[in-house]
Amino acid sequence: MKDAVSLKISLPKIRDIELVAIEGLDRLAHHLGIADEKIGEAKVLVTETIINALEHSGEENPSVEVEFTMTKQELIILVKDYGKGFEPSSVEDPDIRGKMGTKDKRGWGLKLMKTMSDDFRIESDSHGTRITIKKLLS
Amino acid sequence: MEQQFTLTSEVRDNCLVLSTSGYVNNVGGEKIAEEFSRHFEGGTKKVIVNLAQSKVVNSIGMSFLIDIVDQLNDAGGKLVFTNLDPAVDKMLTIMGLFQFAGKAKNVDEALVSLTTGN
Repeated sequence: MKDAVSLKISLPKIRDIELVAIEGLDRLAHHLGIADEKIGEAKVLVTETIINALEHSGEENPSVEVEFTMTKQELIILVKDYGKGFEPSSVEDPDIRGKMGTKDKRGWGLKLMKTMSDDFRIESDSHGTRITIKKLLS
Repeated sequence: MEQQFTLTSEVRDNCLVLSTSGYVNNVGGEKIAEEFSRHFEGGTKKVIVNLAQSKVVNSIGMSFLIDIVDQLNDAGGKLVFTNLDPAVDKMLTIMGLFQFAGKAKNVDEALVSLTTGN
């Protein structure tokens, strides 16, 4: 991709480590002269994708690989974990009305990723899960 | 990098105003829930959550706020969010939270809404 800047990081499973990725995203955007308000939704996507991956990263390799490729026009987010994988079609979209009156108020990550992104792909098998997200920035 | 989470709490016009600073994650969400419970048990049913200083939140942190909204609605109370970053506003909209909670531009506007019903 012409004029693209990239960042690859491996994040261990420690508290608030997703903020390191957010910091990296800020730096890339600043380098390209992209305004803060244009990457607000990208920050939500990055945060949700990483906390979701860390939660499912498994005990043997409790880390996730993160890669950003950014141009002035778009951001590609790639997040890979090494957990046991899951069947994406088996995950139902949460509904706020269904959450009310129950103890389980969580489970919003995939819905947010799908709804806030401009393209969303998920590949998962018994060796892990790889999520690829495109977010337009212009 | 985003600062560590802090929470300030005050009561204005019989409304609990919770103002956050920093990343609202599971730990931040839990602190908000604890402070809310302390006042809710004392009878407070009107709550304002001011997120002016929290530009990064996550859905686990927000799940604690859904629980607060659930408790308040059951008790005939109300929660109003204020000073939302546009991305956080969109996130809460996608979650459907504004079907059960309000939002206002700032705390003063939220106080008017909660005390007059406008």
